[in-house]
Amino acid sequence: MGGRGKQETRVLGALLLSFLAFALFYPLARILLLGLGTGFWEALGNPYYLGRYLFSLQYGLLSALLTLALAFPLAFLFRFRFPGREALLALSTLPFVLPTPVVALAFMALLGPRGLLGVDLYGTLALLLLVALFYNLGLALRVLVPVALRLRGALEAARVLGATPYRAFFRVGLPLLLPALGSAGLLVFIYAFSAFGVPLLLGGGRYATLEVEVYTLLAHRLAFAEAAALTLLQLFTLALAALLYLRLPTYPLPPGGPEPVGRPWALTLGLSAFFLLLYAPLLALFLEVDPGALARAWASEDFTPLPVALGNSLRFTLLAFSLALPLGVAYAGAARERGGLDLLGLFPLMVSPVAVGLGYLLAYPSLRGSLALLLAAYALLAYPLLARALLPALRSLPKSLLEAARVLGATPLRAFLRVELPLLLPALASGSALALAAILGEFGASLVLWRPEWTTLTLAIYERLGRPGEGPYREALALAALLALLSGLLFYLLDRGRGRIG
Amino acid sequence: MLRILAVLVFLAFGLAQEITVLTHSSFSLDKALIARFERETGLKLRFLKGGDAGETLNRAILTKGAPIADVIYGFDNTFLSRALEADILLPYRSPEIRNLKATLLLDPTFRALPVDYGWVSLNYDRAYFKGRPLPQAPKDLARPEYARLLVVQNPATSSPGLAFLMATVARFGEDGYLDFWAALRDGGVRVAKGWSEAYYTHFTLYKGDRPLVVSYTTSPAAEVYYSEGKYQEPPTGNLFPELSFFQVEFVGILKGTKNLEGAKKVVDWFLSRPVQENLPTEMWMYPARRDAKLPEVFRFAPEPVGSVRLDPVVMAKNRERWIEEWTKVVLQGQSPEAVRRARR
Repeated sequence: MGGRGKQETRVLGALLLSFLAFALFYPLARILLLGLGTGFWEALGNPYYLGRYLFSLQYGLLSALLTLALAFPLAFLFRFRFPGREALLALSTLPFVLPTPVVALAFMALLGPRGLLGVDLYGTLALLLLVALFYNLGLALRVLVPVALRLRGALEAARVLGATPYRAFFRVGLPLLLPALGSAGLLVFIYAFSAFGVPLLLGGGRYATLEVEVYTLLAHRLAFAEAAALTLLQLFTLALAALLYLRLPTYPLPPGGPEPVGRPWALTLGLSAFFLLLYAPLLALFLEVDPGALARAWASEDFTPLPVALGNSLRFTLLAFSLALPLGVAYAGAARERGGLDLLGLFPLMVSPVAVGLGYLLAYPSLRGSLALLLAAYALLAYPLLARALLPALRSLPKSLLEAARVLGATPLRAFLRVELPLLLPALASGSALALAAILGEFGASLVLWRPEWTTLTLAIYERLGRPGEGPYREALALAALLALLSGLLFYLLDRGRGRIG
Repeated sequence: MLRILAVLVFLAFGLAQEITVLTHSSFSLDKALIARFERETGLKLRFLKGGDAGETLNRAILTKGAPIADVIYGFDNTFLSRALEADILLPYRSPEIRNLKATLLLDPTFRALPVDYGWVSLNYDRAYFKGRPLPQAPKDLARPEYARLLVVQNPATSSPGLAFLMATVARFGEDGYLDFWAALRDGGVRVAKGWSEAYYTHFTLYKGDRPLVVSYTTSPAAEVYYSEGKYQEPPTGNLFPELSFFQVEFVGILKGTKNLEGAKKVVDWFLSRPVQENLPTEMWMYPARRDAKLPEVFRFAPEPVGSVRLDPVVMAKNRERWIEEWTKVVLQGQSPEAVRRARR
């Protein structure tokens, strides 16, 4: 590999860096400059904003604890082989790719003022925590299940060396699990702390995260200085969480498959019931869809008609993905050799989409309202998801394989295409599914950079929700179901639950 | 079929000159009127809805330099100063100005021209209050037995909410308005994000649990108009003219328009008699033209006597602080004294 590998890494790194400079660092620097004025200290000294910050922290922490409390025992149940195991694991990851307005509507269809259950949890912390669980349980399982599967070898070794089962678990199993627990918890924290669509649509004004506050300050009040200050506060917090996440050790564990189990049907039934309960909101969403509303949304005169919104969504998703794909591959390629690049790849996940949008408006006044900015934002937010899925596969690829191909006379390109790429395809497909779904459902940056004629499906839902009354609400439900189907289909076609996030 | 139509429409965009009007999401006008304008001028009108009135204006400000529209309609007097300071509008002395009510001409530079006006006011559900006493004075609203019946809008995210906040400032003064709001808060007032959420979700007329809502003096008339014969008399009524807030909505040409002549035609059209006489039953505001006739149903929407208004300059200077102070008291539960102390 030697020289060629290093040079490749350098080129890929430069490609990525120049994009990040345009799409992330420069806009953020503009916010930094603006935010460091007097408004910054005023905003930080304001108990109201401090309260929003504390709430974001609380929401992130509670969500992480709640998710871990359920994911931990579940991960152990998923060690066993039972019918429907793969399907349930796939189902648990589905919410992660569902757009926030869809999830918000799904919960309203079940637990809102007009909900099926007749229990109105709108505007309560309990509802927000339930949504966080719904969103992140699958994410936590994706991190924890593979580790749980690989524990057996280590535990058996401990037993062979004479440890009691109890002692083996606490002295060997738990320490091996701790990093996985930590990384799952930190990921959930990062996502919940910076949640936007869900608290905006379901928080009822009382429970707003910093992200929602940044949006309100910008869109309704044009208070740039305060918005910038809060963005910085958020960035520092998330950077800290991301640093911790990257610092967590990973232990090499022998690969392990699911273990056989005595009474698989009890497990199937129990877990199915649990997941059904957890994902009931999605079911409620589809139950509430009225075909007439879909027809009305199709030819709507008051709101963006469905064909236009759908066309925009598909067009933007494809365009942005064609940008995110090379970026994600470039980053994964560069980070494979150098671990230090990791933070760079995580950076876009730390910056709130709303702040990215705000930064663009500040940094590129002449491009305001141009499609390039929106696509750059989409690509920026999507490529880390693609790269994080690709990276483990790339790192586990034995180098000797490629070298063998070269020794046998293959050109570098041919060796890559015929040997490496086929091995990477599953990871690439599942990363692409995540990236595509993320772009399809993007909400925060769209809301800031939006031009009315670019209304996407996500924004078309928000548009209708802004005008309650039965009619628009029904149309929003129908659009949400459609968007959920689209994301679900994408996810099913490309991933089928086998990929990893994180 | 629709897709073919969409393609045709798209092709037509390139041929006919298009004028884009940025408006708030409650915008609505008779389609026949729009079609007639397009026929007579050869211009194609497109309306972009930008959300709440304040949000819409901010969209225009944030896209200054590369405007997303040619004309903006619907920002009101509480935001007039922001529109003028942001310098996003071109001056235009429309020939129709002489037909407008002089009291509405709040911008001497003619960048913002008044289109319509109205009052934000408290509405109550008549059926709910049948046999129950209504609050007698604005101060009564703060008593627990009424505060728990009231839903208002967040002034940070809603223009009627902001107008109502300003009404309380005008009514109770800088020292008193926070005490009033603290009492409403303690009494259990509910805060909704915007008008439609308050009216269609929380108001008892639409199966909510709050029979008092911040809305418009024309809302009772609108209920009769849309009821298709169900109501002969309004099912709702207005409360407290002394807590009603005067609102004017403006139109302006956005700087950077590629079609100044077309944009001027659109402004003239907004101020023309046919549009002005259509406004009341579409947007539920009163026409700015002196000679516009009001529709019959407006007998249920008499102009309130003794309503409050504030000087646009005073509003411009204090708007942000009032919103912040309101947020501290109502949403965060701080005491009015603490908030007043923090002013110094």
